[in-house]
Amino acid sequence: IPLIYINIILTFTISLLKILIYHSHLISSLLYLKKIILSLFIITTLTTLNTHSLLTNIIPITILIFTTYKTTINLTLLISISNTYNLNYIHNLNLLQY
Amino acid sequence: ILMLSLALGTMITITSNHWVTAWAGLEINTLAIIPLISKSHHPRAIEAATKYFLTQATASALMLFSSMTNAWSSGQWDITQLTNPPSCLLLTAAIAIKLGLTPFHFWFPEVLQGSSLTTALLLSTAMKFPPTTILLLTSHSLNPTLLSTMAIMSIALGGWMGLNQTQTRKILAFSSISHLGWMTIIITYNPKLTLLTFYLYSLMTTSIFLSMNSTNTLKLSTLMTSWTKAPMLNTTLMLTLLSLAGLPPLTGFLPKWLIIQELTKQEMTTTATIISMLSLLGLFFYLRLTYCSTITLPPNSSNKMKQWSIKKPVNTLTPTL
Repeated sequence: IPLIYINIILTFTISLLKILIYHSHLISSLLYLKKIILSLFIITTLTTLNTHSLLTNIIPITILIFTTYKTTINLTLLISISNTYNLNYIHNLNLLQY
Repeated sequence: ILMLSLALGTMITITSNHWVTAWAGLEINTLAIIPLISKSHHPRAIEAATKYFLTQATASALMLFSSMTNAWSSGQWDITQLTNPPSCLLLTAAIAIKLGLTPFHFWFPEVLQGSSLTTALLLSTAMKFPPTTILLLTSHSLNPTLLSTMAIMSIALGGWMGLNQTQTRKILAFSSISHLGWMTIIITYNPKLTLLTFYLYSLMTTSIFLSMNSTNTLKLSTLMTSWTKAPMLNTTLMLTLLSLAGLPPLTGFLPKWLIIQELTKQEMTTTATIISMLSLLGLFFYLRLTYCSTITLPPNSSNKMKQWSIKKPVNTLTPTL
């Protein structure tokens, strides 16, 4: 049904826009990154289940595995930022401008 | 361990014919490089690491999305079979973010500035290689107008924004942006030339980075006093910088010449003239770098003769190519 398809693509695009136009915290952009990849995961599972092909069933699982890698590194970077900076706001990221 | 994972990531993307393997290799590369960037526990380094991570993560997600739309419409996950036009556009945008082409170049000089010289070398040469291979694999189905506009803008921006810089890493960042523009302009017409430009560009930038690493020059002012430490290095640095600019007797002119030849074969002579005019902007700050490194004398005579024995013979050989 294409309506589900349109819905998931909407989630992807809206979360992508949320990353690009961030509010104040960095953590929100990371959250929307996670949401992007989750929507992609849902799309892959739908395609693999609809086409009934056995080889492409590996794809969603591998995507999940790599997203776990990414999220761990997300959180470690956040921790290091909070260790060196006083605040978590994005306007504090202008040390490298000069 | 990190270097091994870097090599593994690049090999995975290069030898991939399925989109997921390419994406996985790119993710492994970003994962491996981020601790390298943030090794020094300086806040600037960590900020550079976060910026790099955010941009690369969004780019890889976009790439996955483009492959997924392609799979939805055509039912296959092969890299060379991109049949869906919007997925092609998305893919070019994603790879442009990864490489640092012009609408998405904002992270690149800051990330290079925040990392140490060797990691900056890795970032600008080794990390550019897998996305360019993906571009090469899909070059027959990409959109030429978008690529050429991005390339022209990147050459222009690389020249213009490099004019006011005093930090050498930022200068090299803008030079790499302009070189990437040169590489992507020819990719739909003759992808072998992009490979050639990439190899030559990586050689020249490695030599420059290593020579700057041995004298630890981060600013223009330290370049001026570097002739006391290793005079032979200084002359070779000048030659490599001039070859980066693309002056005729040195090897940097070769890719530019061939690219202009290919563009005139495709009857895009206006783009060829525009490109060559814009590379003059880059020539200005290359000349300024050579001027600062070789011709000027410092106000006080410094008698430092420290011995830096790391990879010096490489630099004497590379400009004679």
